[in-house]
Amino acid sequence: MKAAVLREQNQPMEIEEVQISKPGPREVLVRPIAAGVCHSDLHFLDGSYPYMLPTILGHESAGVVEEVGKDVTYVKKGDHVITCLSAFCGHCNKCLTGHLSLCQSPEVSRPPEVESRLSIGGETVHQFLNLSSFAELMLIHEHALVKVREDMPMDRAALIGCSTTTGVGAVFHTAGVEPGSIVAVIGCGGVGLAAINGAAIAGASMVIAVDMVDSKLELAKAVGATHTINARSGNAVGEVLELTKGGCDYTFEAIGLKATAEQAFQMLCSGGTATIIGMIPVGTMVELHGVDFLMEKKIQGSNMGSNRFRIDMPRFVDFYLNGKLHLDQMISKHIKLADVNTALHALKSGEEARHVIMFDQ
Amino acid sequence: MATARIKSEITGTVWKVLLAEGDAIQVESELMILESMKMEIPVESTVSGRIQTILVAPGDAVDEDQDLAIIELD
Repeated sequence: MKAAVLREQNQPMEIEEVQISKPGPREVLVRPIAAGVCHSDLHFLDGSYPYMLPTILGHESAGVVEEVGKDVTYVKKGDHVITCLSAFCGHCNKCLTGHLSLCQSPEVSRPPEVESRLSIGGETVHQFLNLSSFAELMLIHEHALVKVREDMPMDRAALIGCSTTTGVGAVFHTAGVEPGSIVAVIGCGGVGLAAINGAAIAGASMVIAVDMVDSKLELAKAVGATHTINARSGNAVGEVLELTKGGCDYTFEAIGLKATAEQAFQMLCSGGTATIIGMIPVGTMVELHGVDFLMEKKIQGSNMGSNRFRIDMPRFVDFYLNGKLHLDQMISKHIKLADVNTALHALKSGEEARHVIMFDQ
Repeated sequence: MATARIKSEITGTVWKVLLAEGDAIQVESELMILESMKMEIPVESTVSGRIQTILVAPGDAVDEDQDLAIIELD
């Protein structure tokens, strides 16, 4: 099969012929139909998050089951599925207490002594987040996918595989936004827009979108923002405090920067909660004013929207099909696998929403 | 002989040790692979020298800033 292989950070990926193993007992071979190009891929491409190389990036996809391992009963050939990087073992403490997205069990990947799922001429290609979706085929654990309705368009379904689940999940699960809350979201990329959409679905009375790109603020309005602030003014915190007359109940940081994480905390009212969704580079420290804790302000992380994706994703599909979840606006362009480097470059500029790779069917 | 310690930047589990005690190692050489939140994260040497002691084994849980290996410097 063909795949976009990353051999060196900050260098373009090359389309190469990659060998894919046969499904093990609990593995599923998926033929992706669509794969989103996500900003998180960029973090691994540019090295702000290290990863073993060579690898095949991509972690946001939807496709059709091609073949299943002998012990797989959940899906069969032909089923439509969304893949998810939050592969869960199903029996560790985190899984059994309902925190499946925090499962750290290595058993959903192949152990080092076993043939790797992906290789080129005998050389191991490290599977990215147990998925590697910039490829014509994916060999994944059965706990890394969910079945979905066949009337769901595959390009929209792919977005639910990461950005939607991360943003909406942060609002629903990590923060637990109540109806009537005042919410601000910093960063209007795919995840931030999903958080805005999620806040609107949750019934927030005010949803403030903060970004430095006017076109993204317009998109934010289209998916549920009630107010927008262009942070180029240099005083986003002051503007939010003034607009809300004292701060937000909930803020969400969807960029991954020290400065914006600190701003998310500064935008809170007493008792408010800041949720950091963005991937802050390894080694970066975040500084807060200690006295703010006397006002019961809280800050927390969110990984993949604290998802239980086998429950969440079919619900998000329903949300899209009944008009509550706005995914059409999230896709700025459909591309071919060969154009993946251009799509990642476009993400760097911050001007565009999301490119989605469409594989030949 | 001067030594340096290679530390973990992240909390995770040792997935695979790529080199052995006594092996020569260069700056940016990959020493081991950690797994954290389903990510395979390489641990690269920050110094050149020879591996004196590897302090962890596959399957071990490691904390941020934990010593992973001791390197005898060139």
